[in-house]
Amino acid sequence: MRKIILLLTVFFFVAGLIGASETWAQKEKVKPKLLRLTFYYPVGVAGPLARVIGEMTDKFNKENEGKIEVVPVYSGDYDPTMQKVQTAIMAGNPPDIFMVEISELPTLLAMDAVLPLDDYIKKMEKGYWEDFFAPFRENATIGGKIYGIPFQRSTPVLYWNKEAFKTAGLDPDKPPKTWDELKDYATKLNIKDKQWGVTISGGWNDWLFEAFVRQNGSYLISADGKTANFDSKEAVEALEFWVELKHRLKVGPPHSTWGSTPPDFVGGRTAMLYHSTGILTFLKRSAKFDFGVAFMPQKKTYGAAVGGANLMIAKKIPKERQEAAWKYIAWMSNVKNVAEWSVASGYVAVRNSAYEDPAMKEHVSKNPEYLVARDQLKYAHGKMMAKNFQKVREILKRQLDDSVAGKIAPAEALKIAHKEIQAVIQ
Amino acid sequence: MKRLEHLKCYGYILPGLFFMGIFTFIPVFMSAYLSLFKWNVNYPEPHFTWFSNYVEVFKAPLFWLVLRNNLIYTFTTIPISMSLALFLAILINQKMGWIRSIYRGCLFYPTMIPMVAAAMLWVWIFNPGLGIFNYYLGFLGVPKIEWLYDMRYALIAIIIMSIWKNFGYYMLIFLAGLQGIPNHYYEAAAIEGATGWKQFRYITFPMLAPATLFVFVVAIISSFQVFDQVFVMTQGGPGDRTNVLVFYIYQHAFRFWDLGMGSTLTTLFISGLLVAIWLVFRVLGRRVYYEV
Amino acid sequence: MKFNWKLRNRLGLHLILMLVSLITVAPYFWILSTSLKFRTDVFTPTPKWIPWPINFQNYLEVFQMAPFHLYLLNTIIVVTGILGVQLVTITLAAYVFSRRNFWGREFFFFLFLIQMMIPIHATFLPNFLTLKKFDLLNTRVAMMLPFFASGYGTFLLRQAFRQIPRSLEDAAVIDGCGGLRFLWHVLIPLARPTLVAFSIISIVSHWNDYLWPLIVTDTPEVRTLTIGLGMFVQQESGADWTLLMAATAFVTAPMLLFFLVLQRKFVESFMLSGMKG
Repeated sequence: MRKIILLLTVFFFVAGLIGASETWAQKEKVKPKLLRLTFYYPVGVAGPLARVIGEMTDKFNKENEGKIEVVPVYSGDYDPTMQKVQTAIMAGNPPDIFMVEISELPTLLAMDAVLPLDDYIKKMEKGYWEDFFAPFRENATIGGKIYGIPFQRSTPVLYWNKEAFKTAGLDPDKPPKTWDELKDYATKLNIKDKQWGVTISGGWNDWLFEAFVRQNGSYLISADGKTANFDSKEAVEALEFWVELKHRLKVGPPHSTWGSTPPDFVGGRTAMLYHSTGILTFLKRSAKFDFGVAFMPQKKTYGAAVGGANLMIAKKIPKERQEAAWKYIAWMSNVKNVAEWSVASGYVAVRNSAYEDPAMKEHVSKNPEYLVARDQLKYAHGKMMAKNFQKVREILKRQLDDSVAGKIAPAEALKIAHKEIQAVIQ
Repeated sequence: MKRLEHLKCYGYILPGLFFMGIFTFIPVFMSAYLSLFKWNVNYPEPHFTWFSNYVEVFKAPLFWLVLRNNLIYTFTTIPISMSLALFLAILINQKMGWIRSIYRGCLFYPTMIPMVAAAMLWVWIFNPGLGIFNYYLGFLGVPKIEWLYDMRYALIAIIIMSIWKNFGYYMLIFLAGLQGIPNHYYEAAAIEGATGWKQFRYITFPMLAPATLFVFVVAIISSFQVFDQVFVMTQGGPGDRTNVLVFYIYQHAFRFWDLGMGSTLTTLFISGLLVAIWLVFRVLGRRVYYEV
Repeated sequence: MKFNWKLRNRLGLHLILMLVSLITVAPYFWILSTSLKFRTDVFTPTPKWIPWPINFQNYLEVFQMAPFHLYLLNTIIVVTGILGVQLVTITLAAYVFSRRNFWGREFFFFLFLIQMMIPIHATFLPNFLTLKKFDLLNTRVAMMLPFFASGYGTFLLRQAFRQIPRSLEDAAVIDGCGGLRFLWHVLIPLARPTLVAFSIISIVSHWNDYLWPLIVTDTPEVRTLTIGLGMFVQQESGADWTLLMAATAFVTAPMLLFFLVLQRKFVESFMLSGMKG
């Protein structure tokens, strides 16, 4: 008995020593003159996306052996990644390269933490910057300067379960095209306690709400991030539509989380789903039924707000590290890699010419669903961004949640959101 | 020589005091100090502002919602866990041989696993469509509830999960207490004709007073430290119905990067704790029965 | 009649205990069951408790997703580090609190007691700022520092030391064994049950730490098991429950194994923790 405890203690202690010495030895192994850059990035874990980033980075490191080594650090989802990046910045030890959710740019600028990239972009091949889709470029630019290169970008889309459509007597190849059709189809598809008609996913419901507002022809925050516009007639109409679907007609769950709804769709618990194009690969691998991807239904127009993350360089690092960081970003954003990343992840390829890439062409000819989000870009706008964006999200989400639960009228909810958010983004 | 002896004693407590000083006591003063400053994205350098942070805190309806959530949590988990724990401790304390350690293991093991692991598990269990909770509740005629996604039920889900996780520990404390009650008390009572319920009321319960008090204090203090489950299962939502004090502080400090407000909330929390400590010490003196 | 009544009571007793035990254990079995399924097999309307076909791949995939072996090592290092220093600080402090009478003794002991009541959940923000100032963020040491002093351990150990009669010490002093030597050779061995109990409680409690490591660590090199597991939940692209449950099973295994092997000791430790409330 005593012996076991003693043995275990010794074992743990030795393991600890080995571990400690191992990490120490790692540090010693760094060759002189080698620039070791850290790259914080967010990816959903379900799917080998972290591995893809690892593999792509390995290729870069091989090409730059002895001179530059980029160490990718998987930092969780968007929120934890932003938290870690900010913590590191505050500690004076920022990661050299990082990808954070696009709306955080104004906050990072307020912390003076991002490097403008215009000079580097000028040195790239002609048409490099314009090759990126226009809506993606919007969130990388503030005050005329460019701070990020689009990489992991998406738009929300509508997924629909073709089997469920058939069962409800709807044409499985015709998704709803307008808000009215959406309401109609959802009502027909809704089977109480078994299948929701349509799920407008929670978690990033603020992002989805922005899309609805865009579909109604309006916007939520001005492009310069300084003026709020939450109580417009169009926004109120959008929220009232949500309340009707989720609270009055009860054809959709009032609340959910971003990660819970894709399995709901796969499990047949919801016939239609509003979610990011980023889950397309997951759905294809998990769903046992035929499903389709479509533009989100329009009201006055099709509309979407883009989402995702851009590659950025920390400002307060030595010049030679900045140059090395740019080398990595330029490499990751070359046409071939952009295509490879898009094929592997399901995110929209951020560059126009990526769709000419042979691997990409083959991929979309077999899986045309991957083109839907790209096509929707015609109607997409930059995502709203402002200083203190986390607080903005919190305020908006709370009003959306309360409204959809029937606790407060949409007009009043948005008025409150408008007032509070305006105060916070000054 | 006496002087040297004294100094040597201080030397012995120095290491402990050193770490406590830096990591327990100084933080109390630090947060009180910082609570008087605005320090956030709009004010990158701390900006002295008297008590305006406190005013802001008390004016925010969300703060009172958070407090309410905490209180609901505390006043539901504690009575239920404690009664459940006591009841099971009494049952397990009966004569039964080796099977006791099996029951004990089964009921106690949730204490051993990290709260995050339990939280992950229960997110899956509470899944409205695929989770086993709704499935088996269905047999009892309960309608499908959206649990973690329903503003009315999310907190209840967290409460259920926390009770599952913690009651085993309390049960063990009660078991220890029960085993400390001498058998001759029960024998004497039986002779006098006192049965089951009377025995419990006049022997078991009073003799368990120290254990009950301990469990109660531990439970209250840990109920205000709820964080892990909320972080993993609901992130405070939906609609902030599961936002609790520690999560609220975390949000302000590490989401909104509002260190001034974070410090203000921290100071309020610590003040609350200190008041609770004072109350406990006042009450502790009198109400404990020790067998001589 | 009396016989029947007793039997009925016995049956009822065991029935209740079995039912409650089942309810408590079933969730863990569900973890194991889900972790052994294929991804698409979890989407069945009726729960399948026995996974068939069985898929051990999930456990491999978990390690490919994230360096859980590294997380395990980090957790061991942190927990051992904390315990090591704790044993030193509490033993020294408990010794003089129990056997020496020095000026301010009651006051300082009171301070140690208060420390018990101010948890990391209340002090994490200022502590974070302190560590930031000394450039200690994102290190294993950072995860250990706030816990090196333990009012609780000091309190428990002082109780234990007090049980040992003065006369023993007087005799030892006469024999030339005083102060530290007495502590090392006599007190500590005699207080071993308490030390073991405390060690177990410390190990379990810090193995399961979450909030503090969450705040002070960023990178996988220093990440611990609980944080690694927590990261699996926060995702953008859809939950893979089989993987999640495999990860959960892995993270909970060490402590549970530890518990099963040393069940008696564990139970005794936790029971002892509440003895002198």
